[in-house]
Parts: sequence; C-alpha cells; structure tokens
Amino acid sequence: MKNNLLMSNIWKILFLAIIAILTYYPFAFLLFTSFKDLSQFYHNFWTPTFPLRWENYYNAWLAIRQYIFNSLIVTGVSVAGVCIVASMSAFIFARYEFPGREVLYFMLLILIMIPSTLTLVPSFVLIRNLGLLNTRWALILPYISGGQIFAILILRTFFSSLPEELFEAARVDGATIWQSYSLIALPLSRAVLGVVAIMNTLNTWNDYIWPSVVISEDSLRTLTVGLAYFSGQYQTQYGPQMAGYVIASIPLLILFFLTMREFIAGLTSGALKM
Amino acid sequence: MNGKAWRDVRKNFPIYLFLLPTFILVIIFSYYPIISAVYHAFTEWDGVNVRFNGFENFLSMIKDDAFIASLLNVIKLTLFSEIVALTLPLLSAVIIFHLIGERIKYFFRVLFVVPMVVPYMVILLIWRFIYDPLDGLLNRLLMSFGITNTPVWLGDSKTALLSIMLIGFPWVAGFNLLIYLAGLDNISPDLFDAAAIDGALGLKRFFYIELPSLLGQIKLIVIMTLITQLQAFQAPLILTNGGPGFSTMVPGLVIYQNAFHFNRMGYASAIGLVLSIFILILTIINMRYISTEVAVSER
Repeated sequence: MKNNLLMSNIWKILFLAIIAILTYYPFAFLLFTSFKDLSQFYHNFWTPTFPLRWENYYNAWLAIRQYIFNSLIVTGVSVAGVCIVASMSAFIFARYEFPGREVLYFMLLILIMIPSTLTLVPSFVLIRNLGLLNTRWALILPYISGGQIFAILILRTFFSSLPEELFEAARVDGATIWQSYSLIALPLSRAVLGVVAIMNTLNTWNDYIWPSVVISEDSLRTLTVGLAYFSGQYQTQYGPQMAGYVIASIPLLILFFLTMREFIAGLTSGALKM
Repeated sequence: MNGKAWRDVRKNFPIYLFLLPTFILVIIFSYYPIISAVYHAFTEWDGVNVRFNGFENFLSMIKDDAFIASLLNVIKLTLFSEIVALTLPLLSAVIIFHLIGERIKYFFRVLFVVPMVVPYMVILLIWRFIYDPLDGLLNRLLMSFGITNTPVWLGDSKTALLSIMLIGFPWVAGFNLLIYLAGLDNISPDLFDAAAIDGALGLKRFFYIELPSLLGQIKLIVIMTLITQLQAFQAPLILTNGGPGFSTMVPGLVIYQNAFHFNRMGYASAIGLVLSIFILILTIINMRYISTEVAVSER
C-alpha cells in the first residue's frame, strides 16, 4: 500500500515536471539568449554561452528605462487614487444610512457589467476633447475611475464586517465622519487595501490597448506600449531585445516575492472582475 | 421633494461629500462614454462630425467581410480556450492536490503561479519570437529534426489562427489552476476518507467526488473564459494585425481598426454595442447562477 502510494506520487511528480519544463523553457531560453551576441545566438542556439554579454542589459535598460519610469508613475498615482477614492465611498456605503443609498450603490454596481469594448471609442474622443491626449492624466483618471468600482465592492464587504461598537464609541465621543474613517476604518483595512492595491497594480501595469490609443509621444509611453515599440526597433538584435523583456518582467516579480499572499489574492480577485 | 426629505439630505451633507469623488469620476469616465457609445452606434461619426443614420451601421456589419470573418474566428478561439481551460489546468490541479507531502504541494503551487506574474505583453513578444520563420524556437526545433519546409506560422493564413490559439502552451500556469485548487481545498477531507475506505481512488474518485464538487468553479471558468475571449484582441493586434487576409481577425480588432485607422467611429460603436449586448447577457447569467464566492482562495 505504502509502496503503491509512493509510486503514484512519483508518476504525479513526473507529469508535473514535464508541464513545468514546457512552461518554463521559453523563459529559460529568454534568459540565456538575453546574454548572447548575434554570433553566439547563431552558433549556440539552444544552450547558454559564455562570456555573458552584460552590455545587452545596459543597452536595453537605456532604451526602456523611461517606459518603466512612466509605468511606475502612472501605476503609483492610479493605485493610490483608487485606494483613497474607493475606501471613502466604501466606508460610507458600509456604515451609514442616507437617502439614495441603494440607488447610488446600484449605479456603481451595474458598471461592473459594462465591457470595456463598448466604451473604448467614446472614451478616446472624450479624452481628446478634454485636451488630455498625450498626458499622464489620460491614463490616471480613467484608471482611478474604472479601478475604484471593484475596489468599492471588496472594501464595502470588509467595512461592513467591522463591529459596530468601534464606531458607536467614536460617535459618542463626538467623532466626525472623517475621524471615524481615517482613525478607525482605514488603519484596520491595511490588509484588504493591500489586496486592492495589488489587483489594481496588475491591471494598470499590464494594460496595453488604452495607453496605445491615448499616448503616442515616446517620452510618455508606458512599459507595455514602449516594449512593443522597442521590440520593433531591435528586430533582429535578439540579445538586447530579450534583455529588455527580462528587465520588463522584474518589477512585478519583485512585488510578487515581497507580497506573495496578498499578490495571489489580488491576482484571483482581479481576474474575477470582468 | 418635501421638506422632511430635503432636511434628511441636508443633514447628511458630509456623507455626500465623501461620495463626491467617486461619482464625479464615474459620471465623466463611465456614464458619459456609455451613453455616447449607444447614441453614436446609430450615427456616422468620425469623432467630430455626427450624422444620424439609423440602423445603417448594423446593416453594414452583415456585409463586412472583416466582421463576418472575425465572428467565425472568435467562435473558434473561444471554443479552443474552453476546451483548454477545462482539461490541462483541471488535471494538473487534481494531481497537485493529491501529491503526498505538504512541501512538494506548495512547491508546485508556487511554481505554477510565478509565470502569471510575467506581463502579458512579454509573453506575446516571446511567442512572436517562437513563431519567427527563420530564427524562431519552433522552426529551429523542426529543422533540427531535418524538416526543411517549415511553416511560416503567423505569416500563413492556414496556420495563423492556430498559432494564436497555441500561445501560452501548456496553459497550466494561470488563473484557472488557482481556482481549481481553491475548489479542491474546500472539499471536506471526510469525503476523501470515506472514498478511500470504499476504495475509490484515481479516476473513480475524480468522477464521483472531485468533478461534482468543482461544478461551481467549472461554471465560473466557462463563463469567464467566454467573456474574456469574446473581447480579447491584444494577441492578434500585436502578432498579426488580423492577417494574413482576415485569418486572425476578431471583433475587438475590427472595432479598433475602424475607430483608429479608418476613422469610422460610429460603425465601431455599433459593433461594440452588439458585442456588449452579448457579453451583458452572459454576465447576467454569470451573476445569477454562479456565485463568485466559491472562487476566492483561502491560501
């Protein structure tokens, strides 16, 4: 019996190992090609070669650092905006009774069902008419507006679950709404806010279609758009090209290993929204 | 409004102030574009000049070769994605779940999460390289087996759509795997113990316990795949631009090209409207019959 179990474990591991190799081989290939010059690439296609051509990384970095910087700014401001705006609304919807509460909440909820395909074209014309084409606001404002919806949903559930006594006591002591929000609700919601932040970071960082439409100026391009452009520039220079892809993957990898638990939660809930 | 209701609103003034940023943004960046999209679907619109033209856009769709081709392609792509989503990730999740030893289970979980972190754009660009007719991984592999008339993958209308489908092979590392694993974690251990006593292992256990218990997750994945695939067009946009011919055209790309290359924004809005109505129906089915709660992982 014991032997049987062990044998079946070995078959399972073998199966998973094959899947893992098939999954990871392109990334491994990417990694070692990123260190090759053209002659190394053509003479030793399948395996790593030495010496490592670090200058590929230097050249790629020069080409895409501005894009990474732009993505960091846009993502940072958008995510902070989502956290602030969404937590304020979610707090109100969770803890207060007021005229119009149901209607207003429904007005937000229904937006989850609207596919982005519908609003892509009019949103572009709107941004153009507002004179925001080729500015970071063309990205940040719609990202905050769109990102807050699902964030409000998650945060409202969390704020509703907090015990009423906390807020009751504050109210008796004469605390204002702002004080209840900023001194009680916000500090307690750090973990949930973390998940919301990561979810929005992923969506913002990886978005391609929208920035490709509203940003055409090279110095403002975000990483996804810049990378597509960069790969056209370095068409057959595989070394620097692949080095650029590796560099582009590093920021999220760092974030992942720093915040694994929240990251996976953010990944799952982020994918659940449509 | 009567006096009392108005007093209620005034008394709650700070509350509304808190909601103001949310609603200002939503009205400008969501409600206005939605209304604009629906209105302009019935017009000829280049982004500046508007001319009402009734149902003309919708009639043009039926005669638009690109749009018709895109519908057929999106059906093929979606069916393929559904088959993929329901097989390899499910099989792998069950196998990971039944591994003996907590550490090795955790190891494989993390191993199949990490690739999800790589930006989708990087994945697409890697696959563009894999399909490169001369220097690409795939043709180099074929050539090393002595095959000389290698396909041009993305450049041939016979293989282009297939190549788009195969992106991401073996499709295990991803969101679906996480959902299945979360579902398996929620099955009561008693059920597995009882099954073990009855000698139900392997396939039997899969069909009598795991598959029925995962129905919620499976429904969720089917609907989500459907909704995502119907809208997706980043891969064809980056890799083929819908070509060669219309062999990899999808509805999202028809919208994109009409709006941003041909300046036919009214027509693009009309296609967007049709597509959205389909997706809306699917979303409503999703919300009514499928609880998203099942999917949220504990780990």
